[in-house]
Amino acid sequence: MELKICHLYPDILNLYGDRGNVLCMQKRLQWRGMDVSVSTASVGESFKASDYDLFFIGGGQDFEQEVLLPDLQGAKTREIKAAIEDGKTFLAICGGYQMLGQYYKTWDGEQCDFIGAIDIYTEGIKKRMIGNYAFTFDELPGNHVVGFENHSGKTYLGSGVRPMGRVLKGYGNNGEDHQEGARYKNVFATYSHGCLLPKNPALCDFILAETLKRKYGSVELSPLPDQLENSAHQYMEKRLL
Amino acid sequence: MTEVANGQQLYAYKAIMKVPGAPSFLLYNLKISDIIFSMKIRTFFSVLLCKMTKSALRLLGRGGTDFPGLIAMGLYHNVLGELSKGVTCIIVTGTNGKTTSARMIEQVLMDGGLSYFTNKSGANLITGITAEFATNATLSGKCTKDYALIECDEAAFKEVSTLVNARAVIVTNVFRDQLDRYGEVTHTLNNIKIGISHSPDATLCLNADDSLTASIAEEVKNPVIFYGVDTPIYTNRVEEVSDAPYCIKCKHEYIYDYVTYGHLGGYRCPACGYHRPQPDLSVSKVVATDTDKSVVEMTVDGKTYQATINLPGGYNIYNAIGTVAIGKALGLDTPMVIRSLSEFSCGFGRMEKFTIDDTAIRMILVKNPAGCNQVLNFVTNVTEPSVFVVCLNDRDADGTDVSWIWDVDFEQIAEMSDLLDGLYLSGIRAEDMALRFKYAGVPESKMKVIKDYETLMQTCTAQDKPVYIMPTYTAMLDLRVKISKLYGFKNFWE
Repeated sequence: MELKICHLYPDILNLYGDRGNVLCMQKRLQWRGMDVSVSTASVGESFKASDYDLFFIGGGQDFEQEVLLPDLQGAKTREIKAAIEDGKTFLAICGGYQMLGQYYKTWDGEQCDFIGAIDIYTEGIKKRMIGNYAFTFDELPGNHVVGFENHSGKTYLGSGVRPMGRVLKGYGNNGEDHQEGARYKNVFATYSHGCLLPKNPALCDFILAETLKRKYGSVELSPLPDQLENSAHQYMEKRLL
Repeated sequence: MTEVANGQQLYAYKAIMKVPGAPSFLLYNLKISDIIFSMKIRTFFSVLLCKMTKSALRLLGRGGTDFPGLIAMGLYHNVLGELSKGVTCIIVTGTNGKTTSARMIEQVLMDGGLSYFTNKSGANLITGITAEFATNATLSGKCTKDYALIECDEAAFKEVSTLVNARAVIVTNVFRDQLDRYGEVTHTLNNIKIGISHSPDATLCLNADDSLTASIAEEVKNPVIFYGVDTPIYTNRVEEVSDAPYCIKCKHEYIYDYVTYGHLGGYRCPACGYHRPQPDLSVSKVVATDTDKSVVEMTVDGKTYQATINLPGGYNIYNAIGTVAIGKALGLDTPMVIRSLSEFSCGFGRMEKFTIDDTAIRMILVKNPAGCNQVLNFVTNVTEPSVFVVCLNDRDADGTDVSWIWDVDFEQIAEMSDLLDGLYLSGIRAEDMALRFKYAGVPESKMKVIKDYETLMQTCTAQDKPVYIMPTYTAMLDLRVKISKLYGFKNFWE
């Protein structure tokens, strides 16, 4: 079995150790004897969504997000939208999460249109929401996700998009409705970095299993020795909850 | 004298102040209306209380300079402005290399026989800086030294510069750093620009190789001295993400003729033409580097000098040439400045070397991806099997977000294979660090999480391989206290 991963804008959207998420998915497939390839597509580089099974998109600084927006709009937007509707997996973090949505409105009312691949929108506030946080992951009952959030955007979900889970500690999507992240088809979007997947191995495996399922039908992922993963997870879980 | 509307001078009251145990010159006739006099009185008490708090803390065996500074500022907010009058102030700011640069400049001032003081303990916020000025002032508020060498946190620079009129400012570089605290790099850059706008009399020493730092020059009227490195430094460089791949002026991607490290090097923008300015002084050749020092050729005013930098690591080559730039800004003799670089011994936790029970230990502060990658460029070049320790804390001063460790090329440590004898992970977030190394490819059999510092130090010194300890800031403070306690080394504030 083989998964093909496409890391979008790795040289620009790389703010919070996001490459660790790609590394984590890669290693956990390899440790199970599966093949995995990681390609990248940045500014000026076209990609065909049909060539890949899983897309990763991270977060960046405002200056850098401005650099890539003109590139993202147009052909790339069409590919991304089609891939999402086709059930390809997307993992989007922080800025990447926001950019899949409809728009970002700054605190002083200026609106920046995003690609509108999922029905969410974001409104900026002056005070950033920063800190370690924890939330549930509804599709894996009993599992908590721990991470670090740092965003000044409040994200709201439209109809047809459900949250990844409920905030146990911290702010989450907007600090108001106790929701965190967004799920739509095989899109997994969240504010959580820290980095997200290595210390949430159950979430990582869930995302990989869903991707493999789409490609190969039913799959069973063999367990891995996750002592270090679990102790990093438990340390933060204990500290927060 | 303050005049009131009717032209009469106002004497609020006349009082004799008696402070128990105070010397007799404290008995003043107080004229509240006399602004200057009142400033003097406030300065006096501010300095006195600051000195007293500092002494009291020392008696209690406690370090720290921020609290005494806070006391001084609480009594008289502008005390720093008063105390810095008539002193030649040198400010060292930027993301990485502040402390080492300040120590190098200090060596120059010392060797030149100049009278100076400096904020030595890494106390680089406005409170710590105020405390240092108070310590070096008479009770009447006159500085007892000619030069003040101030290492200044880039966010604090904005504030400090409203009170201190600097004669020279060096900006070492701008890198992505503790985003939870400083925000984006452009925000840091703006803070520095604001600080410079408050420093109209300063000569600026700017790193020409950093597209962010160099961009400051076009927006200011200050005299500028550009310094840089004309050549690549490393033959094998770690893989790292650039913090500034796109033009600060027009957002087009830069073209690089060469890279020294991070986003530093010979950049130019093909769209708008912004490019690395021609440096006024530069390292023109790296002659030799080893684990103790670097030998380079420097070109200053058309003359070439051979310089030995008594500190390893490519990034210290930048700190050295920056020091020569400051020397030039102050009008010091260049050969003398270059000689001082070979005399220099390192700053607080920056490549500090000590020996415990015959084990050679080097402590190297790490705090952000760019800095940590440079440390790895150095430590992975060891030629004998060594033990490595990373202590990761996530307190405010370290940055509460530890995800930056995933942006560091720790894979280099895994690739050392037999030269990696052992890897100990410590600090509040030791588990995250261990996880990072697992995914970097270090076998779990080589790793050990040791959270207790005493056990950690005993484990390090119970073997005979050299040890390289890489702590984040507060982990370094804690470790030093523990080492002092266990082995009787000096506390850092001494």
